[in-house]
Amino acid sequence: MSHVAHASADVGQEALRQDAALYVRRTLRSGQKIAHDGDVIVLGDVHAGAEIKAAGDVLVFGHLRGMVHAGADGSDGAMVCAWRLEPVQLRIGHVIARPPDVHEDVPDAPEIARVEQGQVIIERAVRPEDGRMARG
Amino acid sequence: MGEVIVITSGKGGVGKTTTTANLGVALAQLGLKTCLVDADIGLRNLDVVLGLENRIVYDLVDVVEGFCRLRQALIRDKRLEGLNLLPAAQTKDKTSVTPEQMRTVTEELRQEFDYVLVDSPAGIEQGFKNAIAGADRALIVATPEVASVRDADRIIGLLEAAEIPPARLIVNRLRPGMVRKGDMMSVDDIVDILAIDLIGVVPEDELIVVTTNRGEPAALSHESRAGEAYRQIARRVRGEEVPFAEMDEPAGFFGRLRRIFGQA
Repeated sequence: MSHVAHASADVGQEALRQDAALYVRRTLRSGQKIAHDGDVIVLGDVHAGAEIKAAGDVLVFGHLRGMVHAGADGSDGAMVCAWRLEPVQLRIGHVIARPPDVHEDVPDAPEIARVEQGQVIIERAVRPEDGRMARG
Repeated sequence: MGEVIVITSGKGGVGKTTTTANLGVALAQLGLKTCLVDADIGLRNLDVVLGLENRIVYDLVDVVEGFCRLRQALIRDKRLEGLNLLPAAQTKDKTSVTPEQMRTVTEELRQEFDYVLVDSPAGIEQGFKNAIAGADRALIVATPEVASVRDADRIIGLLEAAEIPPARLIVNRLRPGMVRKGDMMSVDDIVDILAIDLIGVVPEDELIVVTTNRGEPAALSHESRAGEAYRQIARRVRGEEVPFAEMDEPAGFFGRLRRIFGQA
């Protein structure tokens, strides 16, 4: 049941959010930074050394290798989604996560990162078992 | 009207100056009038690599300060017709020149030369801004190291912001044997990260060390593998289609098989 409550809270939050999503149609290179008071959508790659800070969600239609902070206003309900999710560090709300020190192969598929019980968890954006979108 | 090309990298020590010198030699060998500009004011090296140090009378700062005419500061190479150098000042620093002044100098040079190659200093500060000020396009030098590739990425972003057309990449000091063993980034890895077009690959070559110290760029001799790579890059700069030669030392069947598996 907590799932349902979680989802409806999300919807409420989105309905209240004033700022439109920021659409970035280019690749972000090292040293380039995007900060926005809403959701951020990138059509392009986010290279290592680039940064995105968004009050809302971050969607990357490309390879995410840089640093992303979603829910930067403190919202742990934000999520990060990328075609290839391979960030150097990930921050969602108050939670900071980094990839394991032992190199793991990143699946060749879109993934979603979100916070569950104070931890960043990553899962396939499209569940392999039934082809549905994974939504927290 | 000639073309102004800046050679830059972000990180130091990856071979900008060596690349500028050898590319200049290779372009001049093709019969093109070429001027090399050392924009690394205060840390000038290009003259040494070219073996022209003892012929410097005036330098870039003298030109922009009006102490001499541009023509007086140019040094003609003693070995190669068409190769010229505008040396940097050694006793000044990067703030002695502004981007506007650099643009004026390169504008004047392009009237007379087919190619003006500007050797950029390391870093992203004033010296870099000066070096790119008058450039029509850029060549990025990167070695197969994470730090070098990361800095190159930063530089490409800054060039995009300065609205200099997409840069092309020179991968320098590649060691094919190490790449095959998986101990070094491959050219494909680097191109994949930087997402720009490749213009050449220069293999690691001990002759470069020898020739650089002697002031005789490797491209002058036909024995150097790196020199051959620079000659190919020169032809591509000029717009020729030159196929990318297989960089590997002759690899056995197993070597090839492993490389294919390694990419999966």
